[in-house]
Amino acid sequence: MRVPLSWLREYVDVDLSPEALADRLTLLGMEVRGIERIGADWSRVVVGELLTVDRHPNSARLSLTTVRVGDGEPTLSIVCGATNIAPGQRIPVALPGSVLPGDRRIEIAKLAGVESQGMLCSGDELGLSSDADGILILPADTPIGLPMEDLVGDVVLDVDVKPNRGDALSILGLAREVSAATGAPVRWPGIVVTESGDATADHVRVDVLDTERCPRFVARYLDGVSVGPSPFAVQQRLTAAGMRPISNIVDASNYVMLELGKPIHTFDADGVPNGHIIVRGAEPGERLTTLDHVERVLDPEVLLIAGDDGPLGLAGVMGGLDSEVSDTTSRVIVESALFDPVSIRRTAFRFALRSEASLRFEKGQEHRLARIGADRAAQLILAWGGGRAATEVVDTDPVELPRARVAFRPARVARLLGVDLPSTEQAALLARVEVTTEPADPTDLVPIAAAGPTGAAQQVPAAEGALVAVIPGHRRDLVIEADIAEEVARVRGYETLPGTLPTSAMPAIRPDPRRLVDHLRGWLSGQGLLEVVTHGLIGPEDHARLGLAADDPATIRALNPVTADHSELRRSLLPGLLTVLADAERQRRPDVAVFEVGPIHARVDGQPTETPMVGVLLAGSARPATWAATPRAWDLADGKGLVEALVARIADASVDWRATTPHAGVEHPGRTAEGVVTLPDGRAVVLGRVTEVHPALLAAMDIRAPHVISVGLEIGAIAAIEPGRVQAGRVDGPPPVERDLAVVVDATRGAGDVAAIIRDAAGPSLVGLGLFDRYQGAQLGADQVSLAWRLRLDPDPSAPETATDDLMDHIATVLSERIGARRRA
Amino acid sequence: MDIGSFQGRLEALRVGAISDIGAAADLDALADVETRILGRKGELKSVMGGIGALPAEDRPKVGALANPVREAIESAIETRREVLGTAALEMRLLAEREDVTLPGRSLWRGGLHPIRETEREIARIFGQFGFVVVESPEVETDALNFEALNIPADHPARDLWDTIYVQPPTGTPEAPPDEEPRWLLRTHTSPGQIRAMRATEPPIRILTPGRCYRYEAVDASHGFEFFQVEGLMVDEDTSMGTLRGLLDAFAHAMFGAGRPTRFRPGYYPFTEPSVAFDIQCVVCDGSGCPACGRSGWMTILGAGMVHPVVLRNGGIDPERYQGFAFGMGTDRITMLRYAIRDIRAFLANDLRFLEGFPA
Ligand SMILES: [Zn+2]
Repeated sequence: MRVPLSWLREYVDVDLSPEALADRLTLLGMEVRGIERIGADWSRVVVGELLTVDRHPNSARLSLTTVRVGDGEPTLSIVCGATNIAPGQRIPVALPGSVLPGDRRIEIAKLAGVESQGMLCSGDELGLSSDADGILILPADTPIGLPMEDLVGDVVLDVDVKPNRGDALSILGLAREVSAATGAPVRWPGIVVTESGDATADHVRVDVLDTERCPRFVARYLDGVSVGPSPFAVQQRLTAAGMRPISNIVDASNYVMLELGKPIHTFDADGVPNGHIIVRGAEPGERLTTLDHVERVLDPEVLLIAGDDGPLGLAGVMGGLDSEVSDTTSRVIVESALFDPVSIRRTAFRFALRSEASLRFEKGQEHRLARIGADRAAQLILAWGGGRAATEVVDTDPVELPRARVAFRPARVARLLGVDLPSTEQAALLARVEVTTEPADPTDLVPIAAAGPTGAAQQVPAAEGALVAVIPGHRRDLVIEADIAEEVARVRGYETLPGTLPTSAMPAIRPDPRRLVDHLRGWLSGQGLLEVVTHGLIGPEDHARLGLAADDPATIRALNPVTADHSELRRSLLPGLLTVLADAERQRRPDVAVFEVGPIHARVDGQPTETPMVGVLLAGSARPATWAATPRAWDLADGKGLVEALVARIADASVDWRATTPHAGVEHPGRTAEGVVTLPDGRAVVLGRVTEVHPALLAAMDIRAPHVISVGLEIGAIAAIEPGRVQAGRVDGPPPVERDLAVVVDATRGAGDVAAIIRDAAGPSLVGLGLFDRYQGAQLGADQVSLAWRLRLDPDPSAPETATDDLMDHIATVLSERIGARRRA
Repeated sequence: MDIGSFQGRLEALRVGAISDIGAAADLDALADVETRILGRKGELKSVMGGIGALPAEDRPKVGALANPVREAIESAIETRREVLGTAALEMRLLAEREDVTLPGRSLWRGGLHPIRETEREIARIFGQFGFVVVESPEVETDALNFEALNIPADHPARDLWDTIYVQPPTGTPEAPPDEEPRWLLRTHTSPGQIRAMRATEPPIRILTPGRCYRYEAVDASHGFEFFQVEGLMVDEDTSMGTLRGLLDAFAHAMFGAGRPTRFRPGYYPFTEPSVAFDIQCVVCDGSGCPACGRSGWMTILGAGMVHPVVLRNGGIDPERYQGFAFGMGTDRITMLRYAIRDIRAFLANDLRFLEGFPA
């Protein structure tokens, strides 16, 4: 909310600098986001009078003027391009040497061959209005020579009014806050309507058919009104507050809205047949063309202001075109009504018509403002547009509401705030925001929680020492005891609450769910990998590249995505990681070793499910190229080695790699493996996959790297292999014996199969198995491969010396029997 | 042969051996000399072979004559070996000299993402006060993201959170559009409060960090994906004073012990009273600059005493228990911590950016 200080000062004295005032309001919860100084960025702009306006000798588009800027000042000759000027007008003149907004300097200059001794200014050039076409015409009685900043200069505070404080969406409401901060009293404007002639009821009849959605409707009637511009000062004031001046009638309603927070609507009475106003829900299919020239199709959800012949306006949101106040209007009906906030909010959202008015209705309105607003609007229309106001008002609910009463326990307020605060002091603080207090009656109930859609009200009987806060009508936000506590703290100043460290009982020790993940992150980064965090929302194209159909039921899609590129929750970390690679390549950084830890999303059995994953992407060189190392590209074995080392770091376990069905177009058909860990109890845990990314997918993402390795592991699977309890290994016996075993097998036989057979045949004495050589070539048949294994065996000390040799022979025999492996010397 | 000439042959051997030993240029040559003289078929053996030609009464004297010769030769070899060994080692070391100013054989440096590390740092600081992380899902219901947090449908406060909705789970019963259970991407980590309260009993001290989503245009300080850390503490005595004390401790741990803080009213439907917590601007130290809107202060988090309705919705009696919640933008804290100007850097993953955070 933009608050011109000149306007604010009408209702409360302010003896503070704008900065100090902004500070006080901010500390009171009315955060001032900015301070704007109108006139601060100009200098040497004064009021002048046009003496002559003639055609420019060399240009049809320019005029040559002479301007008087004060007694004793020389008459200036100024070239001007605007067409709205005439002799006798008072206008802002930028003198030679002046500065305008944007650090624009005005000097004597030749325009189309004629010297111009300054410039006549538009409202836009001074930052006063958006009107850039014409020169700003000032009132005829403006003193000539007056510096313009003295005429229209102002300071405007931009106040962030929170949604619960609709009452402060007004200059008067903020004056009340200033009063709470400084103690200066609030001055209400004198609201008096000079009435004459017939009664309003003779011209206006109001039937509210839906009192739920329209609890009060106050109407006034004026005739003989002349529509025209508002007084200059009013226009300036509205402009400074961020509202465009339209006409005296419309400006009057906007003025009341900004001043009191009460939205007002004005009708041209000629557009209201028989002066009959009906407030009702729309009929299905009913139509209304609103002020913005858009025809709206309505239904009963929409509350209407209607006439005998059909809709006149969307209640509280926007008026209809047919009853709009125009230049020719002379009879005006003023509507000052209360509407159900939810209904207004829904209608405004539905038609994308959220306005200053609907914003205020949404937050709820003080009951008495309906009458006050109608009177104030009528008063201003009379003052600015003349005419007569009919006597009295039409009012559908003239009985004002009693003040709300909220019982509270000062001791509980003190407990919540953590400060010892006697009830007398609490009462005094509340008095500064017009909340009076009185002792509670034992029958009073203290509201702990209000009733709402999620539960019933919770109340407790007022205890000894309880008070009742009597709430002024505009503070609809003060409902429960905690609200009173906030008000006490707010007025006293949050800064006065002393900070203390907790002394209450600690919760029991709980496991840290991030322990394993942080361990993995630290370990992976220690292996030289860089952690990335990519988008959770990716595009349909990303999923399509993974082979997931556009309508795949497991994909969770945003119904209202910000952009199509980020409209689906990722089913895989791979697209994000590949995007990092593609971006890095564009930055000429082809060596990419990155990882990400985070959830992937899918619908499982219809339910949204998150699966924490760790993803690794390796592209480019496995080590930095230096004088001391020949660069080598990452390959599948690097990915597997990383997983093996990770597993060994976490559990006393090894990884078996097995072939798995590659995802077509995503994973290399011949380079995709699934890693499995077999736990001591025999359970096999699938950790995830190591794969080379399919070249077609790389091409689709414009990635140049020929070979890219991807690892995807489930965090849950890694957690599953963590041992519950670790027992120290045995180090007192003899060291393990190492034996080598080279076997020739069919080249299509997986090394994993051979390893499994060796493990199976060796039994528990095998404590380590590594493949140290793999040979294919001239010494063997074309379809054969030699695999050389190194076995670490923990021999039984009591067994005979030949036992190890016997075991090796046994293993070789089993290999031969099962897969025809030939032992190599 | 008499003993005299035997002795002469020994002496000649000794003299020749000592000379040869002295002449051996390296360890290999010395080893050759040693073998030639002392070896199994060496010269000493051969001289000793002449023993049979001596008269029988002289034979016992042979030992006394030969042993000193053998010992002298052995000693000379040993001395020479030491000399040559030292020289050889020196040669080797000389030969192995390298340009010690050469760079090393590099490794990829690796690194951790600043958002995740800030998340961890926040958890570490509050961990000292007994807070522990609780994970909470990103796909939420309207009921938990809004309604349970005292933000009913059509409440004006909903304007504070522009929401990205997702399709409800399949199998959700058909309902009129108004009543349809709406599923969404959590707009804040606050639903974690409700989940934590429902899952446990006071005393509660938890943090829920994680990714959030909002329907928001992207610029230097906004993104449709961002990160938050929510904190919740509930017991019988936790007051606004406790909140202030803990937030001060946090701000000082994160931004330096001397940094002034400010506690002022804020507004959230799920807290009452509500708090905005500022630290003195880390750019200008309070003198006013564009980064702090010339106010000298920067808001780093929102907080407040948990609203009684929220406690009740979490299954906790608001008459007996009270406590606070806070929520901070991990992105914002990270930006302030490392003087990062553009929030978009976090999800852009420019490698140069990510390599800039030693940890
Ligand atoms: Zn600053």
